[in-house]
Amino acid sequence: MRGISAVWIVARKEFVEMIRDRKTLFFMLVLPVVIIPVLGNVVVDFTLDVAKEEATKTLEYAVFDDAGEPEVEAAIGRAPAFAKVEIGSREAISAAIAADEIDFALVIPEIDRATEPLTVELHFDNARQTSSVSKRVHGALAGYGEQLRDAKLAEVGATTAEARELLLEPMAVVERGTATAREVAGEVAGGILPYIFIMFALLGALYPAIDLGAGEKERGTLETLLLAPIRRRDIVLGKFLVIFGAGVVSATLVVITITVWIAAKMESVGGGAGELLSTIGPLDMVLAWVVVLPITAVFAAILLSISIYAKSFKEAQSYSAPLQIFAILPAMAPMLPGVELGWGTALIPVTNVSLAIKEIIKGTIDPMMLVVIIASSSVIAGVLLGLCTWWFSREEVLFRQ
Amino acid sequence: MLEVEKLGKTFKLPRRAKAGGKTGGVDPRQEGRSFHALREVSFKVEAGEILGLLGPNGAGKTTLLRTLSTAIAPTRGTARFDGVDIREEPRRVRQRIGFLSGSTGLYGRLTPREMVSYYGRLHGVPAAELPARVDALFAELEMQSYADKRNDDLSTGMKQKVSIARTLVHDPDIIILDEPTSGLDVHAAAGILAMIEGLRRTEKTVLFSTHHMHEVERLCDRVVLIDVGIKVFEGSVAEMREAGGDEALDRAFLGLLGKGQGATLRKGAA
Repeated sequence: MRGISAVWIVARKEFVEMIRDRKTLFFMLVLPVVIIPVLGNVVVDFTLDVAKEEATKTLEYAVFDDAGEPEVEAAIGRAPAFAKVEIGSREAISAAIAADEIDFALVIPEIDRATEPLTVELHFDNARQTSSVSKRVHGALAGYGEQLRDAKLAEVGATTAEARELLLEPMAVVERGTATAREVAGEVAGGILPYIFIMFALLGALYPAIDLGAGEKERGTLETLLLAPIRRRDIVLGKFLVIFGAGVVSATLVVITITVWIAAKMESVGGGAGELLSTIGPLDMVLAWVVVLPITAVFAAILLSISIYAKSFKEAQSYSAPLQIFAILPAMAPMLPGVELGWGTALIPVTNVSLAIKEIIKGTIDPMMLVVIIASSSVIAGVLLGLCTWWFSREEVLFRQ
Repeated sequence: MLEVEKLGKTFKLPRRAKAGGKTGGVDPRQEGRSFHALREVSFKVEAGEILGLLGPNGAGKTTLLRTLSTAIAPTRGTARFDGVDIREEPRRVRQRIGFLSGSTGLYGRLTPREMVSYYGRLHGVPAAELPARVDALFAELEMQSYADKRNDDLSTGMKQKVSIARTLVHDPDIIILDEPTSGLDVHAAAGILAMIEGLRRTEKTVLFSTHHMHEVERLCDRVVLIDVGIKVFEGSVAEMREAGGDEALDRAFLGLLGKGQGATLRKGAA
């Protein structure tokens, strides 16, 4: 029998079996299509809700004024959504904040007005990342602070706005960012998107690989398959094609889902975040998908080798766990500060793909480097597939005791 | 015809392997990290003959059958199926053999028709002939009623018939059966034995390993007995009784094991 024909016979049968396996279908189809929009919506909606609530909720506060500065309290009282409450003593401030009785407290110590600036101590829970207390209190007191400053400046003769500015800021450093909105978006989204693409390529290939290798041993079908009058290379190729295909389908679905989700979400999110999302175009996603293909082939070859070695489904799952760690860590490279795509990182498998996707999204990818990354990943996939074929011909692997 | 010539198979043991393997006892087949599973086994099986391959657990029966079926390569010696050498043309050999064992499984998510057709295609049965060939087999084995149900939903007996159909779909000249009734209930085992009897009528060469002496008495023209990888007896069932010194075949079997070369080797190793 000709090789291609044998590969096709094996691949077709494996494909039929694969699409009848609910677990594989879940990881390959349902997970990328459902999980990404659901998780994305949950995260975005939750973040927006929290930010909105923090900006509008009534903040309850206590004041301990030893300096006799009623204007401070009055300034807070004029700002929207602040409510004063009484607590026993200033020693109870921390306990009251911890018990959610107040959101913050202002303590104004007594000062010598001639020589010391007015000090307002803001006591609040600074461990809460979503807290808007500091921002809102600073906003509420900003006007009164400026009023005091202007009065002091007038005492030294600076009565106009220009004179005050010249006195306060004799030198100004003005920032002019050169990055485009797309680059800024890429820096943010480019950290997480490669990780998602790579993980789904791996997850999509994982269960078919285990089933097509270790599953054959566990079912007792491997021996009869080995006795078919076809080359073992053709069996490996047939199985590899199906595993690779499953990974590609999973990666493709996640790319499509994210593209559609971004398009749908950028309108509802609006503002700066929506503007950032709108800079990620479908073509960027297509290019990112192309870069993921060779690394999917690498995963497929490694997973098939692991699966062929394992004696059972369970053993294959255990052996493939380290691979997931080795894939996750390099895929997270774009999230690390200071890790950039260069000729050094371009040769590190998985990391190079991950960083390349980030550069694609930023619109700053070097085409030559992209070619090198795709070519080197493809060569690695080819070598691993060759090793997998050799592995599949070893009796001590196939008939492990 | 099958000719087996001084066939030997040695496995390299892993570094951590202890002498005597799991039992910790002395195994005469182990020399350092080499394990001689088969040593110069020779015999012949004529066309239309059913040869019983007997031996205690771990004697080397499965290794011998795996080597003959080309799943693993021999270390020494060779075997020829109608002149086709297992070392030189393993794929041509595979074309001619059908293999079935008691532990052979099925693809649960395929139907019997899909599975048997898959093996037919793998063995190069022409696409135009395959459906008719599968239908004929299913009719012969009375499998039509569940031919399109998933294998996972079949009973043990039905599954065994699927395995038989899978073994025969490419009309092999030589059938290798490795303890085919092991683990089966009486009904399913009877189906296998009927199939083997049917093969006798079609002039197929059958090599058949078993632990059940009633199967040997009922089916085998001749037997080969191996122990610790060595052939200790070859002859007809009547000759086995005579050599073993007992009319009861199981006692004759034990008698042959007790005075054979394997027993000598075991004593020497101990």
